Amino acid sequence: MRYADPRLVDQLAAGYVLGTLAPHARARFERLRRDRGDVDLAVANWEARLGRLAQSVAPVKPSPRVWRAIEARTRALAMLHAESNGGGRWLNLVGTALAGLVAGIAASVALFMLAPALIVSTDQVAMHSGERLPQSYVGLLTDAKGDGKLLVSSLRRGKVMTMKVIGPIAPPASGHLVLWAVPADGPAFALGAAPLAGSTTSLLPDTSEKLLATVRKLVVTVETVEAPAAPGQVVFSGNCAKLW
Amino acid sequence: MNPDSARLQELLALTARGDHAAFAEVYDRTHAHLFGIALRMLGGEHVAEDVLQEAFVSIWKAAALYRSRIEGQEIQPMTWLIAIVRNKALDALRVRTRRKETELPDPDDSADDGNTHAAIAPGALELLQQATQALQIQDCMNALDGSHRQSLALAYYQGLSHSEVAAQMGAPLGSVKAWIRRGLDKLKTCLAAQGAVP
Repeated sequence: MRYADPRLVDQLAAGYVLGTLAPHARARFERLRRDRGDVDLAVANWEARLGRLAQSVAPVKPSPRVWRAIEARTRALAMLHAESNGGGRWLNLVGTALAGLVAGIAASVALFMLAPALIVSTDQVAMHSGERLPQSYVGLLTDAKGDGKLLVSSLRRGKVMTMKVIGPIAPPASGHLVLWAVPADGPAFALGAAPLAGSTTSLLPDTSEKLLATVRKLVVTVETVEAPAAPGQVVFSGNCAKLW
Repeated sequence: MNPDSARLQELLALTARGDHAAFAEVYDRTHAHLFGIALRMLGGEHVAEDVLQEAFVSIWKAAALYRSRIEGQEIQPMTWLIAIVRNKALDALRVRTRRKETELPDPDDSADDGNTHAAIAPGALELLQQATQALQIQDCMNALDGSHRQSLALAYYQGLSHSEVAAQMGAPLGSVKAWIRRGLDKLKTCLAAQGAVP
């Protein structure tokens, strides 16, 4: 009944928007806000009042990598959402926000089979830490028309890479598809064979953090030799983004 | 509603329907201001970039939750976006505080730790003065004691908790809570007198 007092509600709303409510009180107040229109309105009014104080803060341009990361995450979510709405299949189970989690689960299973000693890791802690996706490297590769073809992910401190085909891929007339990492300041290096359908997991020679920290771009090429020294004809490409 | 706000409303409505180009335009129009706010609160570029990224992923997922009116009260889209960024920044600040209290420092955070709040200019109080001047409520707000304005400014622009404001100002916690309360009450009164927000 305490919350029947409009003055108290207004004070709590002010503290909530300002950020001075203690964490437990903040969580309680968020629940109250969900249930009561008057509380929601009190919060909106304080957001409007305090939001006006932000006009004196000078704008600052962040690094372009921020948008690259946002774009990779939101486009991947949009594609997963579209696929789950259109076709159903297994993605219906995970909804729109859990692509990274699925990759993480696949990575954990593969890691458990390949190297059980590594299974207890910070990656898993991150993976189960709530709504936030685990810290990962993610690439969304598209063809020249911008159609999504391949989703690549690997946990930041893991060695397992997952590749999932998200759009139809025609087999090359000759040769096979290879995924390459393109660092900002060095030669491209091959990460492994790219699948034509479904998804695959493979073990990287080192952790993603060590291999991909400076990688800005991923490409898939058509190769006719078993171990090519440099990328051949590029068929798909996309940015490599860090999810943290 | 000004043309910028009207356009942002349209863009958020399109974003809610999955239009990624509209979402990109929301980012183009707002990211520098929102990043400035996050940077001011967090003090380090890397952590501010993380917060901006999390905020925009939330905006993409939750654009449908933006309401232009609540109980008849108009809600500017920029107000909604600022609230999302500030809440993400507050979460990051509280996690950082908890980590500092309980754990050894994470080496990944070391680059940001060098940029303390105090190193950022202008100061919080100066930002408050600039904002109140722009809002034409400076005289009204100046009726407050300087320590009241200072504590409100530290809490708003730097996201400090009551106890952090008390430590920074070297003042008793109870006094700081009262100063911030009075500062908020005064802000509400001054803005209402301007007819800005009820």
